[in-house]
Amino acid sequence: MSDKVKVVPCSGIGKVFGLVAREAALSTVQELCPDKAETVCLAYIVTGDEDVKEKMKGSDCITVDGCPKMCASKNVSLAGGVVVEEVKVLDTVKDHKGKKFGSATELNDDGYMVVNEIAAKIEKRINEIA
Amino acid sequence: MAVLKVGILSCSGEECLGGTISRLATRKVLEEMTMVDTVTLCLPLYNAGGTEERNFASVFPTISVDGCDKLCAKRSTEKYSGRINGSIDVSKIIGNENALNTRIVRNRDLKEEHFQMVEEVAGEIVKSISNLSPDAYSGKSFRGCNCGSE
Repeated sequence: MSDKVKVVPCSGIGKVFGLVAREAALSTVQELCPDKAETVCLAYIVTGDEDVKEKMKGSDCITVDGCPKMCASKNVSLAGGVVVEEVKVLDTVKDHKGKKFGSATELNDDGYMVVNEIAAKIEKRINEIA
Repeated sequence: MAVLKVGILSCSGEECLGGTISRLATRKVLEEMTMVDTVTLCLPLYNAGGTEERNFASVFPTISVDGCDKLCAKRSTEKYSGRINGSIDVSKIIGNENALNTRIVRNRDLKEEHFQMVEEVAGEIVKSISNLSPDAYSGKSFRGCNCGSE
């Protein structure tokens, strides 16, 4: 079993912040911390399969949620993951009032600016725990 | 006149390209299809207590779009809403090697060939919507009533 920190975004398909969460998580695991972090498909976690439960059980996880429903955090906890940090996209977005970030299909430059800010926060947290 | 409404549930898997293609193809159908009212449902909300999501899929026809043969969206929808009207396995359309590509997953890394895959999968989703039985719209095959109760 991998002991990498698991970074799990909600990837919410209906709103731009779901895509921001997804891109920020992928930026972290692919570019910023590939040796310390990995992602796990949230849809796979939702299935509740024994394989994924085994993978998640007791693992340090950072969840990235695009809306207050906190689906990533709730599902990771239900699967047995230990949520050490709940990253909320809205916490970063509120520092950029009045800006548009693109759509749930495609981010614009401001969208990627927020992605980079969130990814940097996740990277910092990963370096604290791994 | 009854509104023709169809739910599309994408896995949006974060581990491989198939999930990205499933997400983008679903978004494309959602944004461009005008014949029927397509609605996308957040899969993670199923488990996180999204009763609206669960009720929608038990009342309206729903199609799952999965990036790989684990078929997480299909299985979760069946688990929480009972049945599904159509299922698309992206790996069968773009090939397993492409679907399980773990290097190119982010939107910003996609190239022309990947957008071609999105087009192809979106076409299959539209085909699946076209193949829905008229009963799926008329209410004859509904498990529950329109109030959303089971």
